[in-house]
Amino acid sequence: MSEIEQTQTQTTEQATDQPLETTTGESDEEVREEWRQYDFRGSTKLAAGDLNVHYGDDHALKDVSMEIPEQSVTALIGPSGCGKSTFLRCLNRMNDRISSARIEGSVTLDGMEIYQDGVNLVELRKRVGMVFQSPNPFPKSIRENIAYGPEKHGDLETGLLARLLGRSDEAAREELVERCLRDAALWNEVHDRLDDNALGLSGGQQQRLCIARCLSVDPDVILMDEPASALDPIATAKIEDLIDDLSEEYTVVIVTHNMQQAARISDQTAVFLTGGELVEYGDTDQIFEDPESDRVEDYITGKFG
Amino acid sequence: MARRDFQESLDALRSDVTEMGHLVLARLDDALHALDAGDVDAAEAVIDGDAEINQLYLDLESACIDLFALQQPVASDLRFVAASFKILTDLERIGDLATNLAGYALAADSRYLPELDLTHIGARVHDLVADAIEAYADNDAAACREIDARDDEIDALCHAASERVVRDLIERRAASGDSNGNDDGNGDEAGDPWDVEAVLDDVSRVLLTVRDLERVADHGVNIAARTLYAVDSDSELIY
Repeated sequence: MSEIEQTQTQTTEQATDQPLETTTGESDEEVREEWRQYDFRGSTKLAAGDLNVHYGDDHALKDVSMEIPEQSVTALIGPSGCGKSTFLRCLNRMNDRISSARIEGSVTLDGMEIYQDGVNLVELRKRVGMVFQSPNPFPKSIRENIAYGPEKHGDLETGLLARLLGRSDEAAREELVERCLRDAALWNEVHDRLDDNALGLSGGQQQRLCIARCLSVDPDVILMDEPASALDPIATAKIEDLIDDLSEEYTVVIVTHNMQQAARISDQTAVFLTGGELVEYGDTDQIFEDPESDRVEDYITGKFG
Repeated sequence: MARRDFQESLDALRSDVTEMGHLVLARLDDALHALDAGDVDAAEAVIDGDAEINQLYLDLESACIDLFALQQPVASDLRFVAASFKILTDLERIGDLATNLAGYALAADSRYLPELDLTHIGARVHDLVADAIEAYADNDAAACREIDARDDEIDALCHAASERVVRDLIERRAASGDSNGNDDGNGDEAGDPWDVEAVLDDVSRVLLTVRDLERVADHGVNIAARTLYAVDSDSELIY
């Protein structure tokens, strides 16, 4: 462990002592200092402080600090292996399940540290939901996909025992199913076949169902890892419109390889580059019109490498 | 592969816009020469050549739209294509103004007008536009700022020239002592009677000449302003 820490210290020192030559004359460190002082609109929902992630000897995420404002869309972009998905997964402690992963630093949700003893991971993941690259509905009916979480967590009591005890809440369930499907812009397409198996839906519909399922447990934050990469342009457009609508109520953090998508849908963009560094973070229009860092410029214009 | 094609398209756009700039500059040069020397052939060549500039403008505008649609440029690429798109319009307008100037040259008659050093103003305007085109070709931000400063001097020269024409008319009118505006044959030009209509045309023409020269310089400044935006993402000169 100490060896790794030593390596990390050396790397940081190198970066400070020998700033990369850039045509704007600004080193990566100077760029980073600028956006660290950036004043976002709205209040902070999530904040990472000096977050480091190691997978064994691999230093996947390096001293990442950033604040994510609430009720907005924050896009994380960067080349494969840059650590953006690792960062996303840190935001609801999904990396805890990887035995070789070692996480140092801090992540707060509404000012509360999520990496501390006693944090209820089930509650955390209800508040910070996740939608993955490939749609992964349960092999159950559309209705059950939505109701499963709230029933499992006891927010809805519709089981046999509840019914026998007179506490059944079928009406509440139907209302919840409809609300979530409407919020995920899927209701009009499936309202007459709620008992059909969810696996019979198209890819785009399945992905919106997964978003509806995520909404059913009343999250504050929705993390999305390439949610539209497996979808055609029409299904992608629906997901993008949905993300835009969701950001009025939820805090959305999205990882995408599609830079035009990031430019279209996000309010803030964070650019991670090889080595697990967050190189620049700011308003999306500024990142795509006038990035401070030459490395970011080279990446987004395709001159990378 | 695609990025290489894109880079080649960007390089081609820069050289094509620069080339159009040089063509427009040559037309401006001819128009100024026509004004200066009363060269009818040069004036007609400028007027006839405007269609070529308009076609170039449409072709290059279309090239920019293709780049936006197919390459979706970002960052410095985006600023460069957006700036080029705007600069094309300025070049096309300078072409139009050159034909105006050539038209004034064809109708030139300054018997009743005071001496104006339009040659000097024309040369300064021409140099400003030439430098703006070079700044665009060379990505030269410092030159852009310097060009903007020079425009103020040209504005002052144009203002002084217009004022001189009007002042001269007023003074001559006062000297003639004719408050009714009748043509009384007391013109300054060796007893040559004033033809009010002709003088009116001449005055309008020379004032338009001054105004168009000033406008050419303004378009030169626009070129510098958009170039500065492309190079430094600095909108300071865009108004």
